[in-house]
Amino acid sequence: MRTRMKDQWPTLLVAALAGTFGVLLLHVTGLLAAAIRADDVTGESDTVALMLGFLATVFVVIAVYVSAIVTSNTVATVVAGRTRTIALLRLIGSSARAQRAQIAKEGLVVGIAGAAIGVLAGTGAALGIEELAVANRMLPATDYGYLNAAVVLPAIAVALTTWLASWVGSRRVLRVRPIEAISNATAQDREELGRRRGRNIAAIVLVVVGIGLLVTGVVIGLTDPIGVLIGLAGGILSFTGVVLGADVVMPPVLRLVGRLFGRSPAARLAAENAVRNPERSSRMTIGLVIGVTLLTTFSVTMESYRAMLLAAQAAQPEVFAGIEEMLNATIAVFTVLIGFSALIAAIGMVNTLSLSVMQRTRELGLLRALGFDRGQLRRMIVAESAALTVAATLTGLVLGFGYGWAGAQALLGGAQGEPVFVMPGVPWVMIGALIVSAGVLTLVASIAPARRAMRVSPVVALAVD
Amino acid sequence: MQIQPSDLGLIARVAGLAKRYGHGAGAVTALDDVSLGLRRGEFTAIMGPSGSGKSTLMHIMAGLDSPTAGRVWLGDTDITELGDSALTVLRRRRIGFVFQSFNLVPTLDVRGNVMLPFELDGRRPSRDEQAWIDELFDTLGLGGRLTHRPHELSGGQQQRVAIARALATRPDLVFADEPTGNLDSRTGREVLGLLAVASARYGQSIAMVTHDPVAASHADRILFLADGKIVRDAGRSTPEEISAFMLSMELAA
Repeated sequence: MRTRMKDQWPTLLVAALAGTFGVLLLHVTGLLAAAIRADDVTGESDTVALMLGFLATVFVVIAVYVSAIVTSNTVATVVAGRTRTIALLRLIGSSARAQRAQIAKEGLVVGIAGAAIGVLAGTGAALGIEELAVANRMLPATDYGYLNAAVVLPAIAVALTTWLASWVGSRRVLRVRPIEAISNATAQDREELGRRRGRNIAAIVLVVVGIGLLVTGVVIGLTDPIGVLIGLAGGILSFTGVVLGADVVMPPVLRLVGRLFGRSPAARLAAENAVRNPERSSRMTIGLVIGVTLLTTFSVTMESYRAMLLAAQAAQPEVFAGIEEMLNATIAVFTVLIGFSALIAAIGMVNTLSLSVMQRTRELGLLRALGFDRGQLRRMIVAESAALTVAATLTGLVLGFGYGWAGAQALLGGAQGEPVFVMPGVPWVMIGALIVSAGVLTLVASIAPARRAMRVSPVVALAVD
Repeated sequence: MQIQPSDLGLIARVAGLAKRYGHGAGAVTALDDVSLGLRRGEFTAIMGPSGSGKSTLMHIMAGLDSPTAGRVWLGDTDITELGDSALTVLRRRRIGFVFQSFNLVPTLDVRGNVMLPFELDGRRPSRDEQAWIDELFDTLGLGGRLTHRPHELSGGQQQRVAIARALATRPDLVFADEPTGNLDSRTGREVLGLLAVASARYGQSIAMVTHDPVAASHADRILFLADGKIVRDAGRSTPEEISAFMLSMELAA
């Protein structure tokens, strides 16, 4: 069984990261709440502690949600790689249900292991942060107890979602036919697209209703700041629609991006590879889209807010003194918190790309035999990786810009007593950082698969198994 | 002056070829002092039971694997010492392949697969070459399917596309590895007939590895391998003669 679990390490990594993040965030919130209670001025009010708890929960939920998407995709890729073994076991009498249960069981084991790592690593990191903060006098020494029950919650959430995501991701097991163990017609890894229609209709309804609410929010926001709440609901609904309809949204974007790489054989094959399995590539990129969208939405809103504050500050310097430092600190903290989901998504993409290239060994051998040199093979894989990263980043930037502007308009459009058009602030630093990160991600994601691809001997393509 | 393989009418030649895997007691000898020449324009079959070394011989002659000892020529080029890049370019320009299965790049359509060797070389086919490719599409009955992807084709059609690709660049030598292994016998006969025509009508040199006596009977010349050695060099033979010889080899072993 140990050899079968080896392809599950990406799942473990994602579970451990999500667990660490959740536990760390709860500990830090706990620490801050303890520090606030200890303070004479703020200690009376529970509001701040409550807000902190609420925000921590929101970020943990986002991280767990993204890691669930990533995990179900990883598991689907793992299943595709195991098709032959599963078919063989089916051939000698194992039921599809038992095979699927096996994979879900692995998911539970991996999820529990990841959660345990998360509790240890998250608590360790929180301890380190506390030491540092106290030593630097940024935080008073508190009586915060690390052994508190609330920390178990993110751990349990991670274990359960990994289990659930494994179950969802292992759907394909049911479609493996025993005959695939003995025929050699299995090289194609097409996933059938069933039950898509209901989902697409739901996605369209969500997007339409969401955009309607968003527009309503913006209009109401011109006179009443309550508009931002309506807009928020619209944003959540429409974005959920986009995530649900990823199979429809992402492949055209990927095709478009793929076309940018030119007409050389390496670039053309890369573009085709990026969409050869639309369902898989959509899932591969959607996690990153979520992360980038959240980051962009947040920073565009904040940037618009900052522009307005700066204008106000110029008019009344004494009232708004010191506000910029506060704003910068808030933006930095939130960016890190949201960025973590993007990080998990990025790791998921690296893993899935690695796995899917490994499953293409035979095709890589064929390309070598036909005259692809090692450099062309590497360029092909880097371009495939770039197509996925660029498509996800672009989509996220466009969506985030729209949401961010709508948020800023709804929030600030009526803030000065009369309806105004809010110029969307452009967070250049953020955009620059995202583009650099996308470049780094492209390269990192392609290192392992490219090295692997370049080692493939053309003789593999001729071998008949 | 040294005599070049081409002076002898040879398109490929190996001399004193040996291939051993592993070391010490566990070492396996796949090829043992094999010397042979393939004649230009001929359709040669390399036959032998499983484990006779016929696939290893083909891999080495096609520049896909390197020998433990001996030398290998393609045309007048000594390819024994060539590095990976030079061998890659050699395969691209001077060798064609038809494998048993999984011949085609699944993400490219029929035309894309056939044009791939040209594109890898960074060039478009010349007018002359384009005419030849169109003739191939025509002869192989692929005209109506140029925009089909491999998974939309039957096994026999996929092998035809592979043949078109292998012949498109008019390579020095086409290697076919059990090209009919995955086909029913009627489709298999068609594919073999096409290879034989390519050799007879267009002078294409072809080396086909097979263990099927019927397939080998389409060839001009049949080389029999057993335990890494060439045991017989025969001209065109009937399936019965080939089977009889194979059987006698099995009985002698």
